[in-house]
Amino acid sequence: MEREELKLQLKNHIIKYLNLLEMTPDDIKDDQPLFGDGLGLDSIDSIELIVLLEREYGIKIQDPKDGRKILADINSMLDYILEHRTK
Amino acid sequence: MYIHKSTCISPQQTYSEVDLEKTILSVNNILTVVEPKYQDIPLNILRRMGKAVRMGVGAALPLIKDSKNIDGIIIGTANGGMEDCIKFLNQIVQFEEGRLTPTNFVQSTPNAIAAQISITTQNKGYNITHVHRGLAFENALIDAQMLLKENLDFNLLVGGVDEISSYNYNIENLGGWYKEKEIDNTELYKNDSKGTIAGEGVTMFLVNNCKENCFANISAIKTLHTNKTDEVAEQLKLFIADNISPEQKIDLFITGENGDNRLQNYYNICEKVLDKNTGIARFKHFCGEYPTASAFSVWLASQILNNQIIPKHFIKQDRFPQSLSKKTLSDICNNKVERILIYNNYKGQQHSFMLIEK
Repeated sequence: MEREELKLQLKNHIIKYLNLLEMTPDDIKDDQPLFGDGLGLDSIDSIELIVLLEREYGIKIQDPKDGRKILADINSMLDYILEHRTK
Repeated sequence: MYIHKSTCISPQQTYSEVDLEKTILSVNNILTVVEPKYQDIPLNILRRMGKAVRMGVGAALPLIKDSKNIDGIIIGTANGGMEDCIKFLNQIVQFEEGRLTPTNFVQSTPNAIAAQISITTQNKGYNITHVHRGLAFENALIDAQMLLKENLDFNLLVGGVDEISSYNYNIENLGGWYKEKEIDNTELYKNDSKGTIAGEGVTMFLVNNCKENCFANISAIKTLHTNKTDEVAEQLKLFIADNISPEQKIDLFITGENGDNRLQNYYNICEKVLDKNTGIARFKHFCGEYPTASAFSVWLASQILNNQIIPKHFIKQDRFPQSLSKKTLSDICNNKVERILIYNNYKGQQHSFMLIEK
């Protein structure tokens, strides 16, 4: 799957998993921080994203410190998915 | 126990601009709530809420917002967030007890409603949820009543919440509790068959011991488990004898009649207990049947007491042919309505009597 195609799929998954009301993939910028001031996600969302990675791409994040880097923004998530996906 | 404020999210126009005249029709024997825009709930929190939690918090916040101190939050709900509960249980099976998301779990427990109201308003007072199926709301009221006896200056939020999920609709449907043929809710009482129509809704009340400026007074509550009609009638007689003096009269009898012909005898026998001139009203064509529908009837009673008006579709017409062309209760009941008795019945097993006075 091409990076752009995967990016769109990932954004759609994020919208679905986090139930981001009235948001479209275009509203989520690639380099916008997902947590804090950016998209405004919180710790419960981070667990939802970890479950998303495992269910959709077969990626298990064991160390929470890794999670912080991987889930920083869309670009960092994409890089990690492309390198580690098992499905 | 005096009601000072109330909100109601129901399948009808009952939330902001109340319109009891217009009846929104059921679809496939289901009356689904008209959800308002929840402007008081932050979007980031709202997106995680299941329907029951969303409705519960949405109905509670306007009441709490303007009140200085809320000393307790007491919710009655038979099922809580059933939709999220089933999603979570399905995930457990689908993902073999691994890879589970927290949100559905957090939202699925019945006490999530009272908890979310508490978290959203930073309320650290008494917080409890009653889950006694068709008597969940009544038990919440009894709890509030006892708490107010011990704490004379308390302000309490009491509410009844239940949602229809596809899961509980299907289970109840398979159990024969809904009509087999599709009917309009406006025809609910004319259809002589088993089953009723499904409903859902949230009703919240702000209650305390202060009579001044109150909306209505919930002066007595009694609950009963039985399937014997005679026992229900006997208990109703006792309830009336215990709470209404001989010189007082019941101006209106609101019943939970729901079009299920298997339950009609309970209502018929209770109507016979009352004076033949007592007005009778029904409400389940308006909100549908659900375990905490009695909360809607208390809200309706408080509206009637306050406004002294009831649209004629609530009135049991065969008892009041003269009322067809009349609108105000004083016309129907020949005087001001000051005392309303409510009888509700859930599945022929759980019964409650409530006395609502001005």
